[in-house]
Parts: sequence; structure tokens; C-alpha cells
Amino acid sequence: MAASKQVRSALESMMFVWGEPLAVRTAADVLNVSEAETKEAFEALMEEYDQEQRGIRVRRINKGYQFVTAEENGTYIERLCTPVKRRRLSQSALEVLAIIAYKQPVTKGEIEAIRGIRCDRVIEGLMNKDLVEVKGRSEAIGRPNLYGTTDAFLRYFDLEDIKQLPDIQDIEQVMELPEDYEDSVTMNQISLADMTGEGAAEEAAPHAAAEDADAPEGDEL
Amino acid sequence: MGYKVKLPLFEGPFDLLVYLIESARMDIYDIRVSEITAQYLEYIENMQQMDVSVSSEFMVLAAELIELKSRMLLPRQSADPDQAPPEDPRSELVARILEYKTFKTLSGYLSEREEHGFMVREKPQEDISQYLESPDEYLTLEMGQFVQAFNAFLLRKKRVEEIRTRYERIEREKITAEARMTFIQSLLRQHHGKEVNFKETIKEGDRYDTALSFSSMLEMIRQKKLTAEQKALFADIYLKEADPQGLKEVK
Repeated sequence: MAASKQVRSALESMMFVWGEPLAVRTAADVLNVSEAETKEAFEALMEEYDQEQRGIRVRRINKGYQFVTAEENGTYIERLCTPVKRRRLSQSALEVLAIIAYKQPVTKGEIEAIRGIRCDRVIEGLMNKDLVEVKGRSEAIGRPNLYGTTDAFLRYFDLEDIKQLPDIQDIEQVMELPEDYEDSVTMNQISLADMTGEGAAEEAAPHAAAEDADAPEGDEL
Repeated sequence: MGYKVKLPLFEGPFDLLVYLIESARMDIYDIRVSEITAQYLEYIENMQQMDVSVSSEFMVLAAELIELKSRMLLPRQSADPDQAPPEDPRSELVARILEYKTFKTLSGYLSEREEHGFMVREKPQEDISQYLESPDEYLTLEMGQFVQAFNAFLLRKKRVEEIRTRYERIEREKITAEARMTFIQSLLRQHHGKEVNFKETIKEGDRYDTALSFSSMLEMIRQKKLTAEQKALFADIYLKEADPQGLKEVK
């Protein structure tokens, strides 16, 4: 217990100096304790700061932890540091980011197939902001770049890791049953099922996906 | 860099289509294709009338809608009643619209998260050099990252070297050949029409240098800028500035 308290205290000091997310592995190496113990100590610190409602909180970014200001004090910081720089991402940038975040690793062609419009500029902008990066190359023709999100993406949106994003299935369910149309949709689903047989709905999705994959090639003709 | 001008809300053809379907309060699983196609085309026409160039992507979807509309006119019963009837021609479009809407919804979520992100501040990395005895920079990298960076470094080095060797070689040859001719010409001028030993035109004395002087000489003979004379085999060659008389003859 005493050792663990010492570890927590050490981590606090290290985070204070480090600023950037401090990787669990690095901290464990420095302290010469196991990574599991280090992670546990980080989590304990995070809880401690939360419970005490301190103005500084511990935030996890992927496999690292850092000190940040408490969200509820954001407005005071803004009043202190005026004028505030706040450049929001454009709607198209957010759409492309959403696609990359959920479908990563993903090619530009796949992104464009979903949005139905070219995305070169947007992706370039997101790369410059370091929110996305090239994760590798696809085996498909032309070996296009595969894009994925970065730790800077997590920090920008204040996310612990990519799993913290809402489940895409939940979103799809909400979308498929909009409140306004609930009755008519249910009816239509029945009629659609009657008409096409039960397997048809399942078949439709992969078929559409295949069509989408062809789309970028068609574009260039 | 061109300018990117965006019209109000629509981020692309699907965005427009979704807007039209929603504002017509249409069920997405039962799109009235003919109605929505007409509205879509009307919107594009309006854009064109306002002299806004409509991007080709909007046209692609317009063409797809028209094709879909025509397919809706065809009877859909298959001849064999036992076989499952062919699927609704709209289902592919529906799947694509739903997928797009999913990500549009998610982009809304990200936009909310963005606000949260703005309210949380982090401190930039401290300058820790003051704590270091020798302020070396340490990289904390995963093995894979390190190997990747090192490979990238090697590749870049190789490329740069490749370019450099080629670049230098080309530059040296090109400049020296011209420079040598200029040098020979000025040498001849200095002697005011008197003969000059070919050996004097050689600077370094190595084989490349000799060959360069010799080929420069030949080229200058061809251009009638000088005359060369060799009294016997392997004897010294004497160069002389071409006499103006000879030049006139050429002209």
C-alpha cells in the first residue's frame, strides 16, 4: 500500500513535468514497477482527482495519461485567456473524420463512395492538423493509402480511446426507426419482407458495398 | 491552390438527396423515385441558372436517379412464381442513403465532442532541457516506429544520393565542356593570332582533361573558330585563331 502511494505520488510529479500524455510503459520503466501496477496507479489518481473535483484532472489518451484542466472550468480559462482561439472543423471535415474513425483503416475511395463526393482536400487538411494519418497501404489495385485516426484526434475530441465512440449499430437503429415514420416504416418493412423474402434484406447490404467499391474506378473513366 | 466555395448546407449529392427526402417527409424505405428525381433535377437546374458550376458528383447521382426511375417502370414479377421475386431496385440506393446518414449523424456527435474538447486544456510539453545534464533529446518510440523511421531515413538517404550523383555528374560535364572552349578562345586571343601549343590548353593533364581539350578543339574547328596544324605524326599540335578572312568566306 505504501509502495503504491509512492508510485502515485511519482506519477503525479512526472505528469506535471511531462505535459503530453505520459505512456504507461515509459512511466513503468522509470519507476521500475510493472505496467499493470502503473496503470492501476494512474487510474486511482484519475478517480481521486475526479472525486475531489479538483481543477486539474487526469485524462487517459490511449496508453498514456496526462494532466488537463477540468471541463467545468473551461469558461473561466476562456475569460482568462481572451480572445479565445476556437476554429471548429467544417461539416465536411467532421463527416470524413467520422467515416475514418469508424471504418479505419480505410481508403480515400471508400470514403468518397460513402459521401458521393471527392475528399482529397478535406483529407489533406485533416492530415495537416495531424488528426488522421496514413496507416499503411491497401492490397487493392493502385495500393491506395489506408487512413486512420491519431492520438491527436482523441485529444481533440477528449476521448480516452477510439472505443469510447458510440456504437455504430446504435446509431443505425435510431436512424432506421425515425419517430415520425415509425408506423409506416414497420408496415413497409413487413411489405418489403413479404415481397423479397427474408434473405433479401441481408443480401442487399453486401451487394451495395460491392457497388460502392466500384464507384471510384468508374469516376476516373 | 484553388478556392473552395461552398453553397449553404449541402456537402455533396447525398446530403442534398437526404435533405429532399426529409423535407418531403418521405419514408426512406419507400422513396417516391419520380418525385424526388424531379426535385433533385430542379435544384441542380436552379444552381446552374444562378451560374454556380455543379460538380460532376451531383450529375452522377442525377443520372443514377434517372436510371432508377426507369427501372421502377419495369414489371418486377418474375416468370416463375416459385422463385423469390427480384429485389426492390431502390434497395441499393436506400442502403447508401442510410450509410451516409449514419455518418452524418456521427459527425454531429463528433461536433458535440469537439465542444467538450475545447473546454479541456492541456499543458504543452515542458522544456525539460534544464533538468538534463547534457540536453540530449530522447525519443520514446515503439520498436516498430523506430524501425519504420530508420527505414524511411535509409530510403531517403539512398534517393538523395542517387539524385546527387546524377546531378553532379551532369553539371560538371556540361559546364566544363563549354568553359574549355571559352578558355581556348581567350588563350588564342591573348596570343594575337600567333600559334599556341595544344598542350597549353590542358589544365589538369589527366586523360579526361586531355580528351576534353581535344574534343573542344575539334568542335571549334568545326565552328571555324580556329585552325589546327600538326607537322608530323604524334608531333605537337599548334592552334591558331581562325583568320577573319576565312570567316567571311563562310558567311
